[in-house]
Amino acid sequence: MVRTKKLKDGSRQIILNGKQYEGVTKTLSELASKTKASAILFADMSGQLISQRGNTENMNTTVLSALAASDFAATAEMAKLVGEEAKFKLLFHEGEKRNVYLSNVGDYFFLVVVFDVNVTLGLIRIYTKKAIQSLLEILEEGGEEEGEKDMIDSDFSSLLGDALDETFK
Amino acid sequence: MFINWALQEINLKIVYYGPGMSGKTTNLEYIHSKLDPSLAGELVSLKTKEDRTIFFDFMQIEVGRIKGKKPKFNLYTVPGQVYYASSRKVILNGVDGIVFVADSQPHRMEANIETLLDLENNLKQDGHSLEAFPWVIQFNKRDLPGVETLETLQKKLNFFSVPYFEGVAVRGDGVFNTLKAVINKVVQNVQNQL
Repeated sequence: MVRTKKLKDGSRQIILNGKQYEGVTKTLSELASKTKASAILFADMSGQLISQRGNTENMNTTVLSALAASDFAATAEMAKLVGEEAKFKLLFHEGEKRNVYLSNVGDYFFLVVVFDVNVTLGLIRIYTKKAIQSLLEILEEGGEEEGEKDMIDSDFSSLLGDALDETFK
Repeated sequence: MFINWALQEINLKIVYYGPGMSGKTTNLEYIHSKLDPSLAGELVSLKTKEDRTIFFDFMQIEVGRIKGKKPKFNLYTVPGQVYYASSRKVILNGVDGIVFVADSQPHRMEANIETLLDLENNLKQDGHSLEAFPWVIQFNKRDLPGVETLETLQKKLNFFSVPYFEGVAVRGDGVFNTLKAVINKVVQNVQNQL
Protein backbone atom coordinates (compact mmCIF):
# COMPACT_ATOMS: atom_id res chain seq x y z
CA MET A 1 0.00 0.00 0.00
CA VAL A 2 1.22 3.46 -0.77
CA ARG A 3 2.32 4.94 2.52
CA THR A 4 0.11 7.64 3.87
CA LYS A 5 0.82 9.03 7.24
CA LYS A 6 -1.22 11.38 9.37
CA LEU A 7 0.80 13.82 11.38
CA LYS A 8 -0.30 14.99 14.81
CA ASP A 9 -1.72 18.22 13.47
CA GLY A 10 -3.84 16.27 11.01
CA SER A 11 -1.77 16.87 7.87
CA ARG A 12 -1.21 14.04 5.48
CA GLN A 13 1.97 12.64 4.05
CA ILE A 14 2.00 10.40 1.04
CA ILE A 15 5.15 8.50 0.17
CA LEU A 16 5.56 6.67 -3.11
CA ASN A 17 8.45 4.22 -3.23
CA GLY A 18 10.73 3.56 -6.17
CA LYS A 19 9.01 0.38 -7.28
CA GLN A 20 5.60 2.01 -7.22
CA TYR A 21 6.83 4.97 -9.22
CA GLU A 22 8.31 2.65 -11.82
CA GLY A 23 5.03 0.73 -12.03
CA VAL A 24 3.01 3.91 -12.39
CA THR A 25 5.22 5.22 -15.17
CA LYS A 26 5.05 1.93 -17.03
CA THR A 27 1.26 1.87 -16.83
CA LEU A 28 1.06 5.43 -18.16
CA SER A 29 3.33 4.52 -21.08
CA GLU A 30 1.11 1.58 -21.98
CA LEU A 31 -2.01 3.71 -21.75
CA ALA A 32 -0.40 6.36 -23.96
CA SER A 33 0.53 3.88 -26.65
CA LYS A 34 -2.85 2.10 -26.64
CA THR A 35 -5.02 5.20 -26.73
CA LYS A 36 -2.81 7.56 -28.74
CA ALA A 37 -3.65 10.16 -26.13
CA SER A 38 -1.72 13.42 -26.50
CA ALA A 39 -0.82 13.53 -22.84
CA ILE A 40 -1.41 11.55 -19.69
CA LEU A 41 -0.77 12.84 -16.20
CA PHE A 42 -0.86 11.09 -12.86
CA ALA A 43 -1.11 13.39 -9.85
CA ASP A 44 -2.13 13.43 -6.22
CA MET A 45 -5.38 15.02 -5.03
CA SER A 46 -3.58 18.04 -3.62
CA GLY A 47 -2.48 18.85 -7.17
CA GLN A 48 1.08 17.61 -7.21
CA LEU A 49 2.17 16.05 -10.47
CA ILE A 50 3.75 12.63 -10.07
CA SER A 51 4.31 11.25 -13.54
CA GLN A 52 3.52 12.20 -17.13
CA ARG A 53 3.65 10.58 -20.53
CA GLY A 54 2.94 11.61 -24.10
CA ASN A 55 3.58 14.79 -25.92
CA THR A 56 3.84 17.21 -23.02
CA GLU A 57 6.71 19.47 -24.05
CA ASN A 58 4.50 22.40 -24.89
CA MET A 59 2.11 21.84 -22.06
CA ASN A 60 2.54 23.28 -18.57
CA THR A 61 1.74 20.02 -16.81
CA THR A 62 2.50 21.37 -13.33
CA VAL A 63 -0.24 23.94 -13.71
CA LEU A 64 -2.50 21.45 -15.45
CA SER A 65 -2.26 19.11 -12.43
CA ALA A 66 -3.02 21.92 -9.99
CA LEU A 67 -6.06 22.97 -12.02
CA ALA A 68 -7.28 19.41 -12.46
CA ALA A 69 -7.04 18.71 -8.71
CA SER A 70 -9.08 21.82 -7.97
CA ASP A 71 -11.53 20.78 -10.66
CA PHE A 72 -11.95 17.48 -8.83
CA ALA A 73 -12.27 19.06 -5.42
CA ALA A 74 -14.79 21.60 -6.72
CA THR A 75 -17.00 18.92 -8.26
CA ALA A 76 -16.84 16.90 -5.04
CA GLU A 77 -18.38 19.93 -3.31
CA MET A 78 -20.89 20.23 -6.14
CA ALA A 79 -21.82 16.58 -5.66
CA LYS A 80 -22.65 17.28 -2.03
CA LEU A 81 -24.76 20.28 -2.95
CA VAL A 82 -26.87 18.36 -5.44
CA GLY A 83 -27.38 15.46 -3.04
CA GLU A 84 -24.95 12.97 -4.59
CA GLU A 85 -23.49 11.09 -1.67
CA ALA A 86 -20.45 9.63 -3.39
CA LYS A 87 -18.00 11.85 -5.24
CA PHE A 88 -18.26 12.21 -9.00
CA LYS A 89 -15.84 9.63 -10.35
CA LEU A 90 -14.91 11.18 -13.61
CA LEU A 91 -14.96 14.52 -15.35
CA PHE A 92 -15.02 15.10 -19.05
CA HIS A 93 -14.23 18.37 -20.82
CA GLU A 94 -15.10 18.50 -24.48
CA GLY A 95 -13.31 20.87 -26.82
CA GLU A 96 -13.18 21.47 -30.56
CA LYS A 97 -9.73 20.00 -31.03
CA ARG A 98 -8.99 18.30 -27.77
CA ASN A 99 -10.85 16.66 -24.95
CA VAL A 100 -9.79 16.09 -21.38
CA TYR A 101 -10.84 13.06 -19.38
CA LEU A 102 -10.21 13.01 -15.64
CA SER A 103 -10.73 10.07 -13.37
CA ASN A 104 -9.86 9.41 -9.75
CA VAL A 105 -7.49 6.59 -8.82
CA GLY A 106 -8.51 5.63 -5.31
CA ASP A 107 -8.91 8.43 -2.78
CA TYR A 108 -5.55 10.09 -3.13
CA PHE A 109 -4.70 10.17 -6.82
CA PHE A 110 -6.16 10.95 -10.22
CA LEU A 111 -5.43 10.54 -13.90
CA VAL A 112 -5.72 13.20 -16.61
CA VAL A 113 -5.97 12.02 -20.22
CA VAL A 114 -5.74 14.65 -22.95
CA PHE A 115 -6.70 13.42 -26.41
CA ASP A 116 -7.60 14.68 -29.87
CA VAL A 117 -11.27 14.71 -30.81
CA ASN A 118 -10.69 12.08 -33.50
CA VAL A 119 -9.95 9.50 -30.80
CA THR A 120 -13.22 8.03 -29.58
CA LEU A 121 -14.24 8.52 -26.00
CA GLY A 122 -15.19 4.84 -25.73
CA LEU A 123 -11.64 3.77 -26.41
CA ILE A 124 -10.28 6.19 -23.82
CA ARG A 125 -12.83 5.00 -21.28
CA ILE A 126 -12.01 1.31 -21.69
CA TYR A 127 -8.25 1.63 -21.55
CA THR A 128 -8.32 4.23 -18.78
CA LYS A 129 -10.47 1.93 -16.68
CA LYS A 130 -7.95 -0.88 -17.17
CA ALA A 131 -5.05 1.42 -16.37
CA ILE A 132 -6.75 2.58 -13.17
CA GLN A 133 -7.15 -1.02 -12.13
CA SER A 134 -3.46 -1.73 -12.55
CA LEU A 135 -2.50 1.57 -10.90
CA LEU A 136 -4.56 0.61 -7.87
CA GLU A 137 -2.80 -2.75 -7.75
CA ILE A 138 0.61 -1.10 -7.97
CA LEU A 139 -0.28 1.33 -5.20
CA GLU A 140 -1.58 -1.55 -3.06
CA GLU A 141 1.69 -3.44 -3.27
CA GLY A 142 4.03 -2.79 -0.43
CA GLY A 143 7.60 -1.93 -1.09
CA GLU A 144 10.82 -1.66 0.82
CA GLU A 145 10.36 0.59 3.80
CA GLU A 146 11.60 3.98 2.88
CA GLY A 147 10.94 6.71 5.35
CA GLU A 148 10.94 10.45 5.26
CA LYS A 149 13.42 10.17 8.09
CA ASP A 150 16.38 10.07 5.74
CA MET A 151 14.67 12.49 3.42
CA ILE A 152 14.19 15.37 5.82
CA ASP A 153 16.87 15.33 8.51
CA SER A 154 18.15 18.30 10.49
CA ASP A 155 21.02 18.72 8.08
CA PHE A 156 18.49 19.04 5.29
CA SER A 157 16.51 21.73 7.04
CA SER A 158 19.52 23.91 7.74
CA LEU A 159 20.72 23.53 4.14
CA LEU A 160 17.20 24.34 2.96
CA GLY A 161 17.32 27.51 5.04
CA ASP A 162 20.56 28.52 3.29
CA ALA A 163 19.10 27.68 -0.13
CA LEU A 164 16.02 29.80 0.59
CA ASP A 165 18.22 32.72 1.69
CA GLU A 166 20.17 32.37 -1.53
CA THR A 167 17.05 32.14 -3.70
CA PHE A 168 15.21 35.01 -2.00
CA LYS A 169 18.15 37.43 -1.95
CA MET B 1 3.15 16.57 1.49
CA PHE B 2 4.01 14.21 -1.27
CA ILE B 3 7.33 12.39 -1.39
CA ASN B 4 8.46 10.71 -4.59
CA TRP B 5 11.26 8.45 -3.50
CA ALA B 6 12.40 7.50 -7.00
CA LEU B 7 12.94 11.11 -8.04
CA GLN B 8 13.91 12.25 -4.52
CA GLU B 9 11.30 14.95 -4.71
CA ILE B 10 9.54 16.53 -1.76
CA ASN B 11 6.38 18.46 -2.66
CA LEU B 12 4.86 20.92 -0.23
CA LYS B 13 1.64 22.85 -0.52
CA ILE B 14 1.53 26.32 1.01
CA VAL B 15 -1.74 28.27 1.01
CA TYR B 16 -2.08 32.04 1.44
CA TYR B 17 -5.32 32.64 3.32
CA GLY B 18 -6.97 35.89 4.42
CA PRO B 19 -9.84 38.30 3.86
CA GLY B 20 -10.61 39.91 0.51
CA MET B 21 -8.11 42.50 -0.73
CA SER B 22 -5.60 41.78 2.04
CA GLY B 23 -2.78 41.15 -0.46
CA LYS B 24 -2.57 37.39 -0.94
CA THR B 25 -2.25 37.58 -4.73
CA THR B 26 0.15 40.52 -4.35
CA ASN B 27 2.47 38.31 -2.27
CA LEU B 28 2.60 35.73 -5.05
CA GLU B 29 3.01 38.37 -7.73
CA TYR B 30 5.97 39.83 -5.91
CA ILE B 31 7.63 36.43 -5.44
CA HIS B 32 7.04 35.65 -9.10
CA SER B 33 8.52 38.96 -10.25
CA LYS B 34 11.69 38.56 -8.18
CA LEU B 35 12.61 34.92 -8.66
CA ASP B 36 14.81 33.65 -11.44
CA PRO B 37 12.53 32.15 -14.14
CA SER B 38 14.44 28.87 -13.84
CA LEU B 39 13.18 28.55 -10.25
CA ALA B 40 9.65 29.93 -10.50
CA GLY B 41 7.00 28.47 -12.75
CA GLU B 42 4.17 30.33 -14.39
CA LEU B 43 1.83 32.27 -12.10
CA VAL B 44 -1.70 31.21 -12.91
CA SER B 45 -4.52 33.40 -11.64
CA LEU B 46 -8.18 32.50 -11.89
CA LYS B 47 -9.71 35.94 -11.64
CA THR B 48 -12.97 37.73 -12.34
CA LYS B 49 -13.09 40.60 -14.83
CA GLU B 50 -12.67 42.95 -11.89
CA ASP B 51 -9.35 41.31 -11.06
CA ARG B 52 -10.62 39.57 -7.95
CA THR B 53 -9.52 36.00 -7.34
CA ILE B 54 -12.44 33.72 -8.11
CA PHE B 55 -10.83 30.38 -7.36
CA PHE B 56 -7.09 30.55 -6.70
CA ASP B 57 -3.66 31.65 -7.86
CA PHE B 58 -0.99 29.04 -8.27
CA MET B 59 2.76 29.00 -8.71
CA GLN B 60 5.44 26.41 -8.14
CA ILE B 61 8.90 27.38 -6.94
CA GLU B 62 12.09 25.40 -6.57
CA VAL B 63 15.40 26.03 -4.87
CA GLY B 64 17.57 23.47 -6.64
CA ARG B 65 18.83 20.22 -5.13
CA ILE B 66 19.69 19.90 -1.46
CA LYS B 67 21.69 16.81 -0.50
CA GLY B 68 20.42 15.26 -3.71
CA LYS B 69 16.81 16.02 -2.86
CA LYS B 70 14.58 18.31 -4.75
CA PRO B 71 12.06 20.27 -2.70
CA LYS B 72 9.22 21.86 -4.64
CA PHE B 73 6.89 24.42 -3.14
CA ASN B 74 3.41 24.78 -4.52
CA LEU B 75 1.99 28.15 -3.54
CA TYR B 76 -1.75 28.82 -3.67
CA THR B 77 -3.98 31.70 -2.67
CA VAL B 78 -7.66 31.45 -1.84
CA PRO B 79 -10.40 33.89 -2.87
CA GLY B 80 -10.95 36.20 0.10
CA GLN B 81 -14.54 37.25 -0.39
CA VAL B 82 -17.01 35.71 2.05
CA TYR B 83 -19.07 34.49 -0.87
CA TYR B 84 -16.41 31.98 -1.97
CA ALA B 85 -16.34 29.93 1.23
CA SER B 86 -16.52 26.53 -0.47
CA SER B 87 -13.75 27.43 -2.90
CA ARG B 88 -11.50 28.21 0.06
CA LYS B 89 -12.23 24.84 1.57
CA VAL B 90 -11.40 23.09 -1.69
CA ILE B 91 -7.98 24.76 -1.99
CA LEU B 92 -7.01 23.61 1.51
CA ASN B 93 -7.08 19.97 0.41
CA GLY B 94 -3.67 18.47 1.23
CA VAL B 95 -2.24 21.72 2.62
CA ASP B 96 1.07 21.58 4.54
CA GLY B 97 1.46 25.17 5.69
CA ILE B 98 -0.54 28.39 5.76
CA VAL B 99 0.28 32.08 5.52
CA PHE B 100 -2.53 34.17 6.95
CA VAL B 101 -2.39 37.57 5.27
CA ALA B 102 -4.19 40.06 7.53
CA ASP B 103 -5.17 43.59 6.56
CA SER B 104 -3.80 46.08 9.12
CA GLN B 105 -6.54 48.68 8.60
CA PRO B 106 -8.96 49.09 11.53
CA HIS B 107 -12.08 48.74 9.38
CA ARG B 108 -10.86 45.34 8.15
CA MET B 109 -10.35 43.90 11.61
CA GLU B 110 -13.71 42.22 11.64
CA ALA B 111 -13.02 40.64 8.24
CA ASN B 112 -9.64 39.40 9.51
CA ILE B 113 -11.23 37.72 12.50
CA GLU B 114 -14.08 36.27 10.49
CA THR B 115 -11.66 34.77 7.94
CA LEU B 116 -9.43 33.37 10.66
CA LEU B 117 -12.44 31.62 12.19
CA ASP B 118 -13.41 30.37 8.74
CA LEU B 119 -9.89 28.96 8.37
CA GLU B 120 -10.06 27.26 11.75
CA ASN B 121 -13.40 25.77 10.87
CA ASN B 122 -12.20 24.47 7.50
CA LEU B 123 -9.09 22.95 9.02
CA LYS B 124 -11.16 21.26 11.71
CA GLN B 125 -13.38 19.64 9.13
CA ASP B 126 -10.26 18.17 7.59
CA GLY B 127 -9.04 16.83 10.92
CA HIS B 128 -6.44 19.57 11.55
CA SER B 129 -6.22 21.95 14.44
CA LEU B 130 -5.13 25.55 14.02
CA GLU B 131 -3.21 25.31 17.27
CA ALA B 132 -0.91 22.54 16.08
CA PHE B 133 -0.85 23.37 12.37
CA PRO B 134 2.22 25.05 10.81
CA TRP B 135 1.16 28.60 9.98
CA VAL B 136 2.41 32.18 10.17
CA ILE B 137 0.78 35.61 10.02
CA GLN B 138 1.66 38.54 7.82
CA PHE B 139 0.22 41.88 8.94
CA ASN B 140 0.04 43.55 5.59
CA LYS B 141 -0.39 47.15 4.40
CA ARG B 142 1.79 48.59 7.16
CA ASP B 143 2.49 51.63 4.96
CA LEU B 144 -1.10 52.87 5.01
CA PRO B 145 -2.05 55.75 7.34
CA GLY B 146 -4.05 54.99 10.47
CA VAL B 147 -3.34 51.26 10.62
CA GLU B 148 -3.76 49.30 13.84
CA THR B 149 -0.72 49.03 16.09
CA LEU B 150 1.23 45.82 16.02
CA GLU B 151 0.19 45.20 19.61
CA THR B 152 -3.50 45.38 18.79
CA LEU B 153 -3.10 43.10 15.78
CA GLN B 154 -1.14 40.59 17.82
CA LYS B 155 -3.71 40.62 20.59
CA LYS B 156 -6.68 40.23 18.31
CA LEU B 157 -5.34 37.79 15.73
CA ASN B 158 -2.28 35.94 16.94
CA PHE B 159 -3.81 33.96 19.79
CA PHE B 160 -1.56 30.95 19.20
CA SER B 161 1.64 33.05 19.10
CA VAL B 162 2.73 31.92 15.65
CA PRO B 163 5.58 33.71 13.85
CA TYR B 164 4.39 37.07 12.49
CA PHE B 165 5.70 39.58 10.01
CA GLU B 166 4.90 43.14 9.10
CA GLY B 167 4.40 43.45 5.39
CA VAL B 168 3.99 45.91 2.57
CA ALA B 169 3.44 43.29 -0.10
CA VAL B 170 3.24 45.75 -3.02
CA ARG B 171 6.83 46.76 -2.28
CA GLY B 172 7.84 43.26 -1.27
CA ASP B 173 8.49 44.16 2.39
CA GLY B 174 8.16 41.05 4.51
CA VAL B 175 7.15 38.84 1.60
CA PHE B 176 10.17 36.54 1.46
CA ASN B 177 10.59 36.46 5.25
CA THR B 178 7.01 35.28 5.57
CA LEU B 179 7.47 32.55 2.99
CA LYS B 180 10.73 31.40 4.51
CA ALA B 181 9.13 31.22 7.94
CA VAL B 182 6.21 29.10 6.81
CA ILE B 183 8.51 26.67 4.97
CA ASN B 184 10.62 26.37 8.13
CA LYS B 185 7.53 25.69 10.18
CA VAL B 186 6.46 22.91 7.81
CA VAL B 187 9.88 21.25 7.83
CA GLN B 188 10.09 21.57 11.64
CA ASN B 189 6.66 20.04 11.91
CA VAL B 190 7.75 16.99 9.91
CA GLN B 191 10.89 16.58 12.02
CA ASN B 192 8.97 16.81 15.26
CA GLN B 193 6.93 13.83 14.21
CA LEU B 194 9.90 11.53 13.58
